[in-house]
Amino acid sequence: MKKLSILLAAAILTLTAAGCGNNGNNSGSEATNKPAESANATTEATTTPKKNVTIKVFQFKVEIADALNRMAEEYEKETGVKVEVETHGGGEDYNALLKAEIASGSEPEIFNSEGYAALEAYYDRATDLSGEAWAKDVIPAAAGPAQVDGKLLGMPMNIEGYGIFYNKDLFEKAGITTLPKTLTELEAAAKQLQAAGITPFSTTNEWWSIGHHTINVGLAEQPDPIAFINGTKDGSTNFKDNDVFKKWINYVDVVFKYSQKDKLTTDYATQVANFASGKAAMIQQGNWIQGDVDKVAKLNVGLLPIPIDDSGNAHIYTGPANFWIVNSKSKNAEEAKAFLNWMVTSETGKTYLTKEFKFIPALTSIKPTADEIGQMGVAVSEQAATAGGWHWGRYPDGVPQGWGAAMQEYQGGSIDKDQLFDKLEKAIQEIVSK
Amino acid sequence: MNLRKRSNEWMQQLVFVGPGMIVFTIIVLIPFLLGFYFSFTEWNGLDLDKAKWIGMDNIHRIFTNDDKFWAAFKFTLKFTVVTVVVTNILALLLGLLLTRPMRGRNTLRTIFFLPNMIGGILLGYIWQFIFTKGFKTIGEMTGWHFFELPWLGTPETGFWGLVIVFVWQTTGYMMVIYIAAIVGVPKDLMEAATIDGATYFQTVRKVIMPLVMPAITVCLFLTTSGAFKMFDLNLSLTKGGPGTSTQSLAYNIYAEALVNNRYGLGTAKAMLFFFAVSIIAVTQVWLTKRKEVEA
Repeated sequence: MKKLSILLAAAILTLTAAGCGNNGNNSGSEATNKPAESANATTEATTTPKKNVTIKVFQFKVEIADALNRMAEEYEKETGVKVEVETHGGGEDYNALLKAEIASGSEPEIFNSEGYAALEAYYDRATDLSGEAWAKDVIPAAAGPAQVDGKLLGMPMNIEGYGIFYNKDLFEKAGITTLPKTLTELEAAAKQLQAAGITPFSTTNEWWSIGHHTINVGLAEQPDPIAFINGTKDGSTNFKDNDVFKKWINYVDVVFKYSQKDKLTTDYATQVANFASGKAAMIQQGNWIQGDVDKVAKLNVGLLPIPIDDSGNAHIYTGPANFWIVNSKSKNAEEAKAFLNWMVTSETGKTYLTKEFKFIPALTSIKPTADEIGQMGVAVSEQAATAGGWHWGRYPDGVPQGWGAAMQEYQGGSIDKDQLFDKLEKAIQEIVSK
Repeated sequence: MNLRKRSNEWMQQLVFVGPGMIVFTIIVLIPFLLGFYFSFTEWNGLDLDKAKWIGMDNIHRIFTNDDKFWAAFKFTLKFTVVTVVVTNILALLLGLLLTRPMRGRNTLRTIFFLPNMIGGILLGYIWQFIFTKGFKTIGEMTGWHFFELPWLGTPETGFWGLVIVFVWQTTGYMMVIYIAAIVGVPKDLMEAATIDGATYFQTVRKVIMPLVMPAITVCLFLTTSGAFKMFDLNLSLTKGGPGTSTQSLAYNIYAEALVNNRYGLGTAKAMLFFFAVSIIAVTQVWLTKRKEVEA
């Protein structure tokens, strides 16, 4: 018996030793591969990629995860380059996970980052893409957040917009004939829906929805958003005495008041499902929910701009959701560039972008048809000309998270609006101050 | 001869302790020392060469200007006290119950132990579903107030939600330890107590309790440190929300380092956290050790 166990132990030991040996070999061969690749890169032989190359894509759009995987397979079929997609988003904190991934020493070839302040941490990783063939076609507004010193540090993923999407059939059922253009009218419509037994709003407690999007309404409606943002950073302006935010809170109150009963425990998926299944008539979300809505039902939807007062001057808000960043510290950066180029120039890539991802392209060279990007995409593009911008990215990481937490407390009724404004300011100071 | 014997002994030590030591050094000791260094720096966590030495600034900031850290500290202490008491009382009762002759004893033991086999992250997601969907449905069907609460949607329900899941997960494990200890109580002592006319309650109090004291020490230690370090459950069940009302210390550290991009400050907090856990755990072991007796 004893002998047997010794034998076993010895066997296990040798096995693990063998395992280590193998690993060593692998890393060795990888190392020898490397010079060959960089040689390739300098001769710009990107059109004939080698077979044993893998590009890792670390991305955050859960809505396109399946389709992106299928596109990756197509790319592998065409070029032999394997594309590995890892998706973290929706309920997860993508930025934190990306940081953990990079801190652990893994350098994905392509990852997502927002522009402005969020991109700063990745300045020395983001490859300048302004020399790429597609760069000249990028819509200037979409490129803005990733333009630093004349360099283009990322490819805008798409253009997205949010406002209040409403279910046309439910509006009809409740007898709403004229669309609400002011806050008073919005509340009246909500009351009318309620009277007809329909929940007016489907809201969520997801920090990024009430933190990023809802607060951005107040930022974008400022006469000079950038001045206001800088003011809040150095402490010279505050939320409490700001006219726009004083009005903005009324809109927030209306949405929360006329939302479903369990809004405090509703996550993003449930929020969208409630809207898609016709339980609620309105939802403050963006055209990215189209795919998830389609899975449930073919809804007849329209898009309302968000009113914060009765001036009739309301907007939807558009911006590039995110950027594809090519990581210069990764092994196959050149291959990654080729992949991005393929995505926006080849027919297969373009089809996926519009038809499958339902993206409103950020490149003028891609022209989607109405039924490709869906009803919501069309609605957003129609109002895009007068749309407000996305400004939360001008604050460093941690600020929107703090805002989301404060908004959750306000939503739950544990703080009032003055405390909310204090907390919004505090969230900025906690991060900005040294 | 002597020399050979000694080198032989060395070889034995090296073969049996060596691998463990190497792994321990690589995955515990070195990161710990690195963390100690980074707690004195300002660093965003991405590139090692960008860490800037700032001395005691991080510690200073934590003590003077970080309400959220102290709120998390308070939350964690409250959570630890509640879960340690509830878990151990429940586990001890289950242990006493399941050492008495009864039908289905082994099945019940297995069932109570099962939750421990599932990882915290997964448990968190499962219970999140139960709290937000399951409880809601039960509430709608029965109209009972308890199930109609906005579970996980308010600070109180968030706290108790975490307590419920944590207790549910750890009780089974502690129960197994208590069962082992109770079974180990010498039969003759029990019989002597019965002959002397002791009731079951008296036997438990005067004979079993003193003799299972070592198990109590172990269980208290395990639950205290477990509750104090709770992270995975926090992350998957409430994400510290609503707001930051259910943020545990470990989660606060994670958020500081990875969400706010301040690794230096985060590691400084982690160092404080380490000392807090050590002090609490050592004090607790020292206190309960004194109560242990020999059979």
